[in-house]
Amino acid sequence: MTAPLDGVRVLDFTWVVAGPVTTRLLADLGADVIKVEKRNALDFGDRRAGLSGTLMRGKRSVVLNLGDPRGVDLARRLAARCDVVIDNFSARVMTNLGLDYDTLRALRDDIVCVRMTGFGLTGPDRDHVSYGPTLQALAGYTRLMAEPGGSPSGFGYSYSDLAAGSVGALAVLAALWHRRRTGRGQLVDLAQLEVVASLVGPVLLERAVAGGTSEPTGNASQEAPGAPHGVYRCAGAERWLAITVFGDEDWRRLVAAIGAPAWTRDARFGTREQRLAQATVLDRLVGEWTSTQDADAAMALLQAAGVAAGRVANAADLCVHDPQLAARGHFPDVPTPEGRTVRIDGPPFLLSETPARVRGPGPLLGEHTRAVLHDLLGLPDGEVAALERDGVVVSAASRAT
Amino acid sequence: MPGMLSGLRVLDLADQSGALAGKLLAGLGADVVLVEPPGGSLMRAIPPFWRGAPHPERSLFFWFYAAGKRSVTAASDADLRRLAAAADVVIETAPPGRLAWLRDLSPRLIVASITPFGQQGPYRDWRASDTVAQAMGGMLFVNGSADGPPLRSLGLQAYHQAGVFAAIGVVGALLARETTGRGQHVDVSLQAAVAASLEHVPGLFHQTGEIPSRHGTLHWTRYFRVGRCRDGWVMHCTLGDWTSLVEWVKVDRAAGDLGDPAWEDINYRKVHAEHLFDVLDAWAARYTVAELHEGAQLRRIPYAAVRAPEALLADPHLAERGFFVPIEHPGLGTVPYPGAPFRAGDAAWTVTRPPRAGEHDAAVRAEWRA
Repeated sequence: MTAPLDGVRVLDFTWVVAGPVTTRLLADLGADVIKVEKRNALDFGDRRAGLSGTLMRGKRSVVLNLGDPRGVDLARRLAARCDVVIDNFSARVMTNLGLDYDTLRALRDDIVCVRMTGFGLTGPDRDHVSYGPTLQALAGYTRLMAEPGGSPSGFGYSYSDLAAGSVGALAVLAALWHRRRTGRGQLVDLAQLEVVASLVGPVLLERAVAGGTSEPTGNASQEAPGAPHGVYRCAGAERWLAITVFGDEDWRRLVAAIGAPAWTRDARFGTREQRLAQATVLDRLVGEWTSTQDADAAMALLQAAGVAAGRVANAADLCVHDPQLAARGHFPDVPTPEGRTVRIDGPPFLLSETPARVRGPGPLLGEHTRAVLHDLLGLPDGEVAALERDGVVVSAASRAT
Repeated sequence: MPGMLSGLRVLDLADQSGALAGKLLAGLGADVVLVEPPGGSLMRAIPPFWRGAPHPERSLFFWFYAAGKRSVTAASDADLRRLAAAADVVIETAPPGRLAWLRDLSPRLIVASITPFGQQGPYRDWRASDTVAQAMGGMLFVNGSADGPPLRSLGLQAYHQAGVFAAIGVVGALLARETTGRGQHVDVSLQAAVAASLEHVPGLFHQTGEIPSRHGTLHWTRYFRVGRCRDGWVMHCTLGDWTSLVEWVKVDRAAGDLGDPAWEDINYRKVHAEHLFDVLDAWAARYTVAELHEGAQLRRIPYAAVRAPEALLADPHLAERGFFVPIEHPGLGTVPYPGAPFRAGDAAWTVTRPPRAGEHDAAVRAEWRA
C-alpha cells in the first residue's frame, strides 16, 4: 500500500525524546528511518516496547562509533544515500563531527538537513544547554501553570520535547514537498525554545500590547470565558472531572443534568457575566456535587446532556479503559521478531487512503547494522566483520556472540 | 523568498480548536483563506481585546490564530462549495459527518477534520473544550502537586497539538497525492492528539503497569525540580555536568553530603532526588535567578530561569534571531507577533496582519476563480 513517505530514507542521529518523536512520525508515514546510535545508547528499558519502543517504533538501528574516523566516514557515506539527515545534539556537535549541512550538501546536493537544538544555530545563547523542562521554564509554562496566586508548578513531563518533535516532523514533510517542487534541499534550523514560544498563544500579544504581568489562573478557561470551568474532585481516590460551561445553553444543560438543585436557581448565576464573577463560588458548589459522583458516570451523564465534560484520565484510563481511543486503534499491538507482541503508541492521526501505521516495534541496539551497511553501502561481509572486530560498528548479532 | 508550501490553496473553516493548523500552513507559505460567516468569525468575540474594549477587529485571540490568513465571508452553501472545489485542502471542525459532502467535491481534495474525539467511535458525538480534551487525553493528570488538583497547560495545547498533527497529515496527504493522484481525509481527534503528546504516561504503563502521578515541580525522570532564588525561581537540573555543579556548590560551602562520590552515579541522584534538590534549594537561595542561570550556563549545566511568558518578548537571543515579527495594524500601531517555529534556509516563514472580516472577498474569488 502507498505511504506518503514511500522511498524516503532518513538518517537519524537523534536521541533522548524530541528528535525521536520527529522520526517516529516519519516512520509512521512510511519513511525508512535509520537510527544511528552509540554502543551505550540511553534507553528507557525494553527497546521493543514501553517508552523506548514507542519512541523508536518502526525504525532501524545502526551502531557506529563516531569517535573513530572510520565511523564518521560510514556516517557520511550513509548520509549520501539518504534524503533527510536529522539530529538533536547541541549546536556544535554535528559541525565538530564533520556532519554539518555544508559537508553533507557537498555529498548530496538536495539533502534536507534538520538540526533540532535547544536555542538554534545562531544567536547569543546558541551554545546554551537545555532539556525540555528548562525550555518550558524559559517560555513561561512552568510559572503560569499554577493555582491562582500559587508558586510555579508546570508540566510533570517534557511537553516541550513532544511539541518540538511533532513540529520537527512538519518541517521535514514541508521540506520534502519543497524539494519535490523545486529540486532543492535545505537546512532547517529548529530551536526548541522557539517552538514552545510559538505555542504559548495570545497571552504574548496581550503582554506586548498592554504590558503588565501574567498571573497563573489555575484551570480557568483560556478560550471563550465561562464558568463553571475547571477540574473537580470526584468520589474515590484521585478521580477528577473536567467541566466546561461557556454560555447560557451550556449552563442550562448542566443544571438540568445534575437535577437542578436549589443553588442553581440563585440569581447570582443568571448570566455568563454573573457566573464568571461568581466563579469561585460556583467552583465550590459544582465541586460539592462532583465529590459525590463517580467520575466516569458523571462524565457520561453530562455528555449525554450535551455538556463538555471529561474525566482526568490516568494511564490506566487511557490505555485500558477508554473505548474511544481503543476504537481508533490508538495503542496497537505490534509483533516483534522474537514472536512477542508489544503494545505501544500508534500514529496520532488517521489517514483514509494511505494510513499512517506502526511499521514495527523498537529495534534492538545494532539490529540492522549489517543489513544497512550491506544494502546501502555494499560493504562485503568480511569488511563488516573487520569493522565489528575493530569496534567501529556494532551489530546486535555480534553483541550476542 | 517564497514559502515551502507556496502555491497551495487552503480553505480554513475551523474554529479555535483547529485554527493553529491553518496558521502553520500559512506560515509555510500556503494561501490560507479563512471562511467567516456574515458578521465575522466567533473567534473575533474572544478576549483579550486591544485596549480591553470588545471589537471584532481587535480580538488579540483572533489576531494570534488568524495572522497570515486571508478572509472571505461565505453567505451560502453554494458559495462554500465553489470555494472548497477550488482548494487543495479544506480544514474543518464541524461535528463528525456534517461536512461529509466536501469529499465528493473533487477526488484530489484533502480534507482535514479536527473534532473532539474523531470521526468514528463511541464518543464521536461527545463535546470537548481544550481543557476537557487535555483531561481525557492524559495531559492533566500528571501536572500539579500531589495534594492539589491536576493543572491544565498554559495555552490551548490540546488544540495546538491537534493543529500540528492536522498540518502534518495535510502535507503527508499532499505527498501521497503526488503518487496516487487522489486526496484523502485526515481525521484528527483532540483527545488522541493529546494522548500522542505525552512523554512517559502510556509507555511506562504498557511496560510496567505503573500509573504515573503528580509530583509538583519534580519532573517524572527526577532530574529536574524548581528551586527558589532570592528574587524568583530557577529550574534545577542534575543531568549534564555533575562535577561542575557540585564543585560550584562546594566552593560556596553549601554542598553538605553532595561531595560523596555516590552522587556521581546518575541513578543514585535519581533515587535520592528529594534530598539532592533540598540541598540545592538551600544553596540556590543565596543567588539571584540571573546569577544562577548565567553561572550554570557558563559551566554548561542546563539550568534555566523560571520566567513569565512575557520575558520572551525581551529575550536578547530571540531578538537577535528575529523571532518576533512586527506587524502593523493600521490606526492601532505595531505589534510583535511570535514567528517561525523553525527556520528553513531555502524558504520564508510568513506572518502577515490578521485579516478584517471579508477583506479578501473579491481578491480570493478572482484568483481562485470561485
